[in-house]
Amino acid sequence: MSEKNFNVIGKGKPRYDGRVKVTGAAKYCGDLKFPNMLYGKMLGSPYAHAKILSIDTSEAMKIPGVKAVITAKDVPSLKYGISPARWDENCLCIEKALFVGDKVAAVACVDEETCYKALKAIKVEYEVLKPVLDYMHADEDDMPQIHEKYAKNINTEIHQEFGDIKKAFAEAHYVRTDTFVGQRCYQCPIEPHSAVCIWQDNKLTVYSSTQSVHYFQHYIAREFELPMGDVRVIAPFVGGGFGGKLEPTGLEFNGAALSRITGRPVKMFYDRQEMFQHNRGRHQGTYKITSGVDKDGKILGCHVDFQTDGGAYTSLGIATAYYAGALLPLTYEIPVYKFDNRRMYTNLPACGAHRGHGAPQPKYAFESHMDNIAKAMGIDPLDIRLRNARRPNTETVNNFKVNSCGMKECLERAGELSDWRKKKKEGLPKGRGIGISTGSFVTGAGYPIYRTDLPHASCMIRVHEDGTSATLYSGTVDIGQGSHTILCQMAAEAMGYRYENMKMVASDTETCPLDFGAYASRQTLMSGSAVKQAGEEIYRQIIDMASTMLNLPPEDLKCELGVISSISRPKVAPITFEEVARRFFVLRGPLIAKGVYTPPRLGGTFKGAPVGTSPAYSFCVQAAEVQIDEETGKIDVERVWDVHDVGQVINPVNLHGQVHGALYMGLGETIWEQVHFDSNGKIVNGNLGGYMIMTALDMPPITSEVLEDSYEIAGPWGAKEVGEGATNPTIGAFRNAIFDAMGVSVNSVPLTYEKVWRALKEKRESENK
Amino acid sequence: MYLPDFEYYAPDSIAEACKLLSQFGPRAKVLAGGTDLIAKMKNEVLKPEILISIKKLDQMKKIEYVPGKGVVIGARSTHNDLVNSKVLNEKYLSISEAAHQMAANQVRNAGTVGGNISNAVPSADLPPIFIALNAAVKVTGVKGERSLALEDVFAGPGKTNLTQDEIITEVIIPDQKMTGSNYIKFGLRGAGALAVVGVAVAVQVENNVIKDARVALGAVAATPVRAKKTEEFLKGKKVSDEVLAEAGVIASGECKPISDVRASAEYRTDMVRVFTKRALRAAIDKGHV
Ligand SMILES: Cc1cc2nc3c(=O)[nH]c(=O)nc-3n(C[C@H](O)[C@H](O)[C@H](O)COP(=O)(O)OP(=O)(O)OC[C@H]3O[C@@H](n4cnc5c(N)ncnc54)[C@H](O)[C@@H]3O)c2cc1C
Repeated sequence: MSEKNFNVIGKGKPRYDGRVKVTGAAKYCGDLKFPNMLYGKMLGSPYAHAKILSIDTSEAMKIPGVKAVITAKDVPSLKYGISPARWDENCLCIEKALFVGDKVAAVACVDEETCYKALKAIKVEYEVLKPVLDYMHADEDDMPQIHEKYAKNINTEIHQEFGDIKKAFAEAHYVRTDTFVGQRCYQCPIEPHSAVCIWQDNKLTVYSSTQSVHYFQHYIAREFELPMGDVRVIAPFVGGGFGGKLEPTGLEFNGAALSRITGRPVKMFYDRQEMFQHNRGRHQGTYKITSGVDKDGKILGCHVDFQTDGGAYTSLGIATAYYAGALLPLTYEIPVYKFDNRRMYTNLPACGAHRGHGAPQPKYAFESHMDNIAKAMGIDPLDIRLRNARRPNTETVNNFKVNSCGMKECLERAGELSDWRKKKKEGLPKGRGIGISTGSFVTGAGYPIYRTDLPHASCMIRVHEDGTSATLYSGTVDIGQGSHTILCQMAAEAMGYRYENMKMVASDTETCPLDFGAYASRQTLMSGSAVKQAGEEIYRQIIDMASTMLNLPPEDLKCELGVISSISRPKVAPITFEEVARRFFVLRGPLIAKGVYTPPRLGGTFKGAPVGTSPAYSFCVQAAEVQIDEETGKIDVERVWDVHDVGQVINPVNLHGQVHGALYMGLGETIWEQVHFDSNGKIVNGNLGGYMIMTALDMPPITSEVLEDSYEIAGPWGAKEVGEGATNPTIGAFRNAIFDAMGVSVNSVPLTYEKVWRALKEKRESENK
Repeated sequence: MYLPDFEYYAPDSIAEACKLLSQFGPRAKVLAGGTDLIAKMKNEVLKPEILISIKKLDQMKKIEYVPGKGVVIGARSTHNDLVNSKVLNEKYLSISEAAHQMAANQVRNAGTVGGNISNAVPSADLPPIFIALNAAVKVTGVKGERSLALEDVFAGPGKTNLTQDEIITEVIIPDQKMTGSNYIKFGLRGAGALAVVGVAVAVQVENNVIKDARVALGAVAATPVRAKKTEEFLKGKKVSDEVLAEAGVIASGECKPISDVRASAEYRTDMVRVFTKRALRAAIDKGHV
């Protein structure tokens, strides 16, 4: 299955939308303008937990240029959320505000400036309630209950057991428990969220910076009791999402309501601080892990016991809660497994899906735990991983079917690239350390977010009448990950056509066939499978037409890069795709084809079994080398090596870009990023100066490689995911590198310089005793 | 976030600017690069109704050597002016190096020396190196000009000893006997991070003996502060690792940092120790001021 068999995929084709983006010609949602358009803003609660006693909008209405001011009574009261099991959020708060920034009212005005004046003029009377700010104590008796339906502020509780864990521990040679703590992070996409809502002639059109036009269409139609067909959602260019733009914000709902009331288009948007408050970023959690291993360090059983901070609403967090434990048995073969997790409500911004959904922090805990076991038993960290590495064509204890799996090869290759054996044998200079860690992720979720039997992906290809271009119509969303590029490559490959002649109409529920969108690393495999099917259908039609034109049997014809030739008779003059397509149109009408993809039935039957199912799983290993300044705790990253099993690579440039990008986020969360709150639950660093994402100067050199001959049976041409899985191993690799360098364990992220300094200080003090 | 309405003046002379400041009183503020002021207005931390831009006052945007006086840095010079100034590169490379560590290029193109001082933020990067080099500032008000030592400008976080009508016009670095100087900014990432600790030192070393030393600390007290005990300790000492380490320990006793989200007071205190030692070593070894 090597690259030479392909004409279009496997090649680093330039970005489909690269030129318009770098020249600034690309229009993002916030750039859009419509005649008569109004600007809208929402009023956020200044308190983390407060009863709303009254809202007086009369002064605001008097300000010239204010066209509408709405409160809960002007919008549907139907609760929404991502998964039906936990719909708990309202368009505007009805009785209580549950975090600082929770939406209380909204305005639509002739310009942005007037919006801010109007917001100031709205008088809200609050009764301030005690907030729940600490998720580890949210269930205590003296804590107020945030949601009426959820006692002890427990939002989701998970208890799964596979096999007899007590027995596994009893039979183990060594049993060890470790606890690690994660932090709240925010995705920080460069483009702020925005939505333009146009409710005209009984039809609602919403332009939104969303990762999924379909889900938004579904949520909005449901909220306003409209037929799906009367709601059109369009995602223009989207400047990053990372999970944070997968769920509706108040912008769409309140924008729609304001547009209905005023009869004019309304543009709503968040500023940076509001983005931080809306959040839906990484859950913080406390991760306790107990494992029993045999005398060679082979895992006999694991019990993971987590508690996480979900914030004020469920958001996508119910899935996050399951993912946290479900994905751990992937990279290592864990025969007996117990998984407990409690996701708590707090009066902090809601947490959701953040690149690597639920997996990175538990993975950090697990990989750190593995190194602790290895160290205690005198086993090399690479060896303990090789001994436990998952093999291909196996099934996890929680019923995930794994086809292709190059876990062992990734480990070995990362070992070679990083010179692991030599460094371990000869030792590293003072303050230098190397760590290794594994990761795995779903290639698309096996089940949709809401219950439906709709296919997960579909598309349509229409060849232009004269054959000089072909348009792929797909409901997918390119949020910057480059999915348009690879889908066009896949279409061209399947059609026997050229990438350069492909056009794309995408992310529009009215013009494009349904696709669930950009999340769970799904578009390459799922949308790609649909595209491949449609492309092959075009190919068949082209060959069929060419067969009559050349008077040769179809089996003897092939079409490559837009040239049709005879396989057995090289002397027959080839004809072009253009000629054949044009002829086709003249004789048979539009040359079109469709593709559709539904994943097979996957997973077990226990409660929560669907979360984590996927047609295919990626595997990867990262090794990291650091230099620690012993006096300051400063961490200098010398190099990172990443080896990925992603199946067939569709576009190597894109692929390595994803690895670099994921590493950028992963490393940021490892050392720098954390959302901080004051004692009233207000964010203190909700801006790009205070929330420390990495700068170019902090980015380490990276070696990124893939396993060349990996092939995944469930994916188009053997492809699987890369976008999210690469965030999985990062934190663990760095924690382990620091552990290796200094012999100290930092048990919470971010692994700040100060924490390293403190750990070293404590070590010195205990040695001096 | 949006910028509230304000009245705007761009006077042609320093005298006129001072007159306007005096006339409007606390309702008015000087606008230089705006990198601090505009952000604070958007966040409603400051609510001036009138902004007096000094952008037309070109006499405040120069960096030159005046014999008998020293290097004169106009208060409107930007951070990148400091980075690129030939005069500074030759005479006080440490100032150019300090400026290069600030913010990011865009902010360095807009932010000014006068703004950095007047802001009186404890973590500001320029005051420590200026103080270590014994800088004075020239201030102009309705009553005329006066000059004061830079370290006397600061009254507390966000507070200076200037009167409402006064504008900083120049920073003057007097001729030195110092043989080396250095500023170390310890921020938490490669760029765009405020100093968690800033240590500036200037030393006069002859025949391996420290004749004179000045040590200024940033981000570890309500204002940039001098570590005077450390300076006293260093005077007359022979250069050795032990002496520099000891100086670090003394300096760490001279700071009064706070804890915030970026670092604890305890960590900052120990970083003063580490970076005083390192800044001294670098100033001695580099051989330039
Ligand atoms: C992203 C970012 C990063 C930053 N990073 C750093 C950093 O690394 N290190 C650092 O030290 N600072 C940093 N700053 C802060 C700021 O840029 C600097 O302090 C800058 O020097 C301020 O100068 P300015 O000309 O922009 O001041 P302005 O914003 O114009 O003014 C600031 C204050 O000083 C007053 N003022 C200005 N000039 C005069 C004058 N001549 N006389 C009297 N009063 C005056 C104004 O009235 C105002 O109160 C950063 C700021 C931003 C936005």
